Formats: sequence, C-alpha cells, structure tokens
Amino acid sequence: MEMHPRVSDHAASDLDRAIADEAELTAGIRIRPGRSYGFFTDTTLCIGCKACEVACKEWNNLPADGIGLTGHSYDNTTALSADSWRHVMFIEAGVRDDLAQPFQSGWLMMSDVCKHCHNAPCLEACPTGALFRTEFDTVVVQQDICNGCGYCVPACPFGVVDISLLDGKAHKCTLCYDRLKGGLEPACAKACPTDSIQFGELDELQERARRREADLHRRGVAGAYIYGAPGTPGATGGLGHLSAFFLLTATPETYNLPRAPTRPANRIAPSLAAGIATVFGLAVAALSLFTRSAER
Amino acid sequence: MSMNEQPAWDGRTYYNEPQLRAAPFNNALVGGYIFLAGLSGAAQLLTTVMDATRGPGAASTTRRGRYLAMLAPTVGALCLILDLHTPQRFYNMLRLIKPTSPMSLGSWVLVGFGVTSTATAVLQFAADRLRGSRLRGVARITQVPAALAGAFMSTYTASLLSATSTPLWAAAPKSLAVRFASSAVASAAAALGLGERNDRRRRDLDNLAVAALAVELAATLASEHAERQVGIDDGGKQSAGRAAVPLVLLLTSLLLPGFLGRAVSTLGSVAALGGGLAMRVDTLTEGDTSARQSHRSLRFAQPDNLPRA
Repeated sequence: MEMHPRVSDHAASDLDRAIADEAELTAGIRIRPGRSYGFFTDTTLCIGCKACEVACKEWNNLPADGIGLTGHSYDNTTALSADSWRHVMFIEAGVRDDLAQPFQSGWLMMSDVCKHCHNAPCLEACPTGALFRTEFDTVVVQQDICNGCGYCVPACPFGVVDISLLDGKAHKCTLCYDRLKGGLEPACAKACPTDSIQFGELDELQERARRREADLHRRGVAGAYIYGAPGTPGATGGLGHLSAFFLLTATPETYNLPRAPTRPANRIAPSLAAGIATVFGLAVAALSLFTRSAER
Repeated sequence: MSMNEQPAWDGRTYYNEPQLRAAPFNNALVGGYIFLAGLSGAAQLLTTVMDATRGPGAASTTRRGRYLAMLAPTVGALCLILDLHTPQRFYNMLRLIKPTSPMSLGSWVLVGFGVTSTATAVLQFAADRLRGSRLRGVARITQVPAALAGAFMSTYTASLLSATSTPLWAAAPKSLAVRFASSAVASAAAALGLGERNDRRRRDLDNLAVAALAVELAATLASEHAERQVGIDDGGKQSAGRAAVPLVLLLTSLLLPGFLGRAVSTLGSVAALGGGLAMRVDTLTEGDTSARQSHRSLRFAQPDNLPRA
C-alpha cells in the first residue's frame, strides 16, 4: 500500500488544524475549481458495510429516516431520499455454484448516489435557479433559494432528488461541495474501506474504470461493464455522461437503474409546437365560425 | 461493453421498489391550476376572436370572457403558491428565465397573462361605467397580447409534465399537448356558452366546443396507442369518456330545437367543464402511479424507446 509522502507530516491522531489539501493524502489529488470531479463506484469491490451511508449522514447532518426492517436482504434504507444521499443496495442473485463468475457472484452490492448528470434534468427543470452547477462540475441545491416547488423530483431519471417534509426544500447529494471547497475528499469516498467508491477527476476516473473493466474481463468476469461513462448504458438520450458512474456485473435493471434514460428538456419543443398548433388551429376554426354566422 | 451487448432485461425489479420518484404535487391544486390556466387562456383567446369578428354586437360575450380570464391569475396563481412546500418564497419563481424549464417559462407566461388580462378586465369594468370613454378601444389593444399569452397558458402545462421522467407524461408529449390545448378550448367555449343568452352565438360556441372535444378525443386515443407502443400501458381504465360524453351531448343539443336543445347543451357544457378538470387531475394521478411502478419506468427506459437520432 503506497502512502503519500505528506502523510508522515501528520503523525498525530489528534490534529489541532485541518490539513491543507487533505484530498492529496486520501485520494491522491489536489481539488481545484474549474475541473470536473466525480465518483467511480466499483460495485465488484463493495462489501455492503454502509460506511458510506453513515459517513454521509454524519458529515451532512442528515436526520435518520426509514427506521425499521424491510426484509429486502440487508437493505433497510430502501432508496435515496431527502435524508439519505448514499444507499447501499443488496441483491441476492442466487446460490453460488462452481461456474459462477468471481466477485460478488451470488450477492451483488452497490452504493447508489446522485449521478451529477452532465445535462442534469433536475437543474434544467429548476425554475428558481436553486439547483446550480458548481465550480467542480457537480450539481447542488442552494437551500436558501429553493421554494419547494418539487419540479426537480419527477425530472430526475434516477429518482434521486426528494423534497423533505421537515423543511419543505429539495435535497440530494452535494458531492460534499463544502468539503471540496476545503480541499477534502467527499465523506463517503474517504470512509469507503475497500475503495469501491473512488473520488477523483472525471477523466482520470473514466480511464481507471476502463482499465478495471478490461482487467476484470481478463480475469473471467465477462459481464463487467461501465454504467454512466460516455457511450455506455445510463449516458443516453441526451443526458451526456454521468459524473457519478458505476462498474456493474448484472443488468442495469438489477440495480434499479434505467438502461436508457432520456433528457426531459428535449421533449419541450415538440410538445409546445403541437400544443400551440392545436390552439391556433381551433382559434382559426372559431374565427371562421364567428365570421360565417356574423354574415348571416 | 456497448448497449447492444447487454443481456436483455428479464423483467425483474429491485424488490418492486420504485425506480423513480412521483412528483410531490398536490394533484387537486395543480390539476385545478392546469384546468383554470386552460380555461382562462382559451377564454381570452376566443373572446379576442369574438371581438374581432363581431365587435360591439357581442359585447356581453366579450365582457364575460374577459372576466373569465381572471380566474388563472387569481385563483389559479393561489393554487400554485399553496402547492409550494415553501410558499413564502413564491417570488423566487421570477429570479431568472430558464428555457429548459417549462415551469420557469410558465411562471413568466402567467405573469404576462395576468398583467394584460387584468388590464383588459379593469378597462372593461371602467368602460362599462364611464359612458362614451375611449377605454373600450384601449381594451381592444390590451386583449391582443393577453390572447397570445392565453394560447401559451392553455398548453404549456402539458410541456411541463412531458419534460419530466414520469413515464406516462413523457411517453407521448405531442398528444398530451394536443389534449390539454383542445380541452382548454372546449372548456372555454363551454363556459362562455353556459352564460350566453344569444342563441346564435351559443350555437357557434357549442359548435366550437364540439370541434375541440373531437380533437381531444382523437388525441386521447393517440395517447393510449402511444402508451401501448412504449409498453407502459397499465391496461386499466379508459379515459376517452371524459371527452366523448360532452361531445355526444353537445352534438345532440345542436340537433334538438328550442328549450330541449338548450337544456341538453347546458348539460353538455357542464360535462365538458367537469371532464376537463377530471382529465387534468387524473393525468397527474395516473402519472404518479406510473412513476412509482418500477416495471413500467424500467420498461419505458429501454433502448427501443430512445428518440431516433
């Protein structure tokens, strides 16, 4: 295990100040505005420990929700919501036999998160400008602007954004906007003990994911593929790439992900054209009806 | 691995958990607004056409139309504000103009329609009380931008719903827009017809409502066909009746003479208004259901439903 040379500068376990550019020690990069950052979630490494869920709740001060047992394997979080910005899914795919592919062959786990889409439908739908694109190319809801109209909620193709009934605002993963500003790696990625969640610059992450995919193919995991990088499932229908993307080993639907989501804003023009044509067509009908009987 | 190399979906879902979130709208409030926006917008448009063709001869109809157009900027706007989860920040809707957001565009259309329609209604009110004033002429000018905004009012709400990921709203954007637009014209013609004392104008309005309802019926059937094509039809209730019942009643009334014709026409007009409101509320409710059912949303998001490049 390589360690960054700067790590030895901070040997004490109790620090009296924040470490400058801490992400360099934990994720190997310096976070700078103007560049694109994201998550690469490699599900073949996920062990379902939910450290990401806990780290996210702790850092972001999110209240508990869904206290109870669902009976859906170990998934008692059920879905991403206003109060849960990481969600570990558990899929019991069946009994392992000798022919099964390695890596999670009988039990799939995946830590789901906001995808921070390139053409983010929530951002495009938001009428107040509360949702905006940050200097790190991520998508964040400004809590002091949001008026809780809820239009971002059905806009999201992944069912991520949610309105909290506690405060009447929309909430979702911020990709730890505050931490990025302070040079820190997002909480979930830092907490992940197996590096299933990797944080970094998007280009580098996509390259790393392609290498991992090829490596897994070589090692016999023929079904491994990337979801959300350019040209792969998930990055379809005008959405562009997803800044939080995944390496999966079963169909997208297995992980409750849409195979070919679309960009909702692309439907505005045809819809408006058809509607306006109908109104004016009927207005012309009215014009001819009223004119005809005026002449009588 | 490209899309085509992926094994096909076997139809299984993640514990039947929803894949999408349903819109957190109050369907009575938002459905009520969509209905009132259509009714008011189309009423302003029809009134302007009526005023242009009939002039002072149809003054009573024009007056009713201009007052009817005040429903959306008053009651309708209140419905929208009440639907917000943080209503005290309603004015944030006017922080910016965003072309990718029909809700942003719609907020501005509502403001434009509200200002011009209020001006027209106030001028009408004043002109009725100040004899020989020129205010009537000014109202004839302000009604034009109001009518144009009214055209958008009666249909942008369909674009608002289609520009989401909710399968039922996204499946057939064009036919949903035609349904909302034609239903708006039918509601406005029905509402104006209900108050109309002049038999000839009432027949004209009934004829127009019949035409609009026929368009709505055709678009409803087209929507249901599109839902079957993309594989998200729930095989449930038929919605064609909401346009068909008033259509048949109004057609019958046009064939019947005198009092009987007027009675059936009244019935048909009321059915058109009720059907228009029900269509909007049901569209919202059924859309929410389609979003919550992952077997339908995952089916809708299959590659065969991608727009052709």
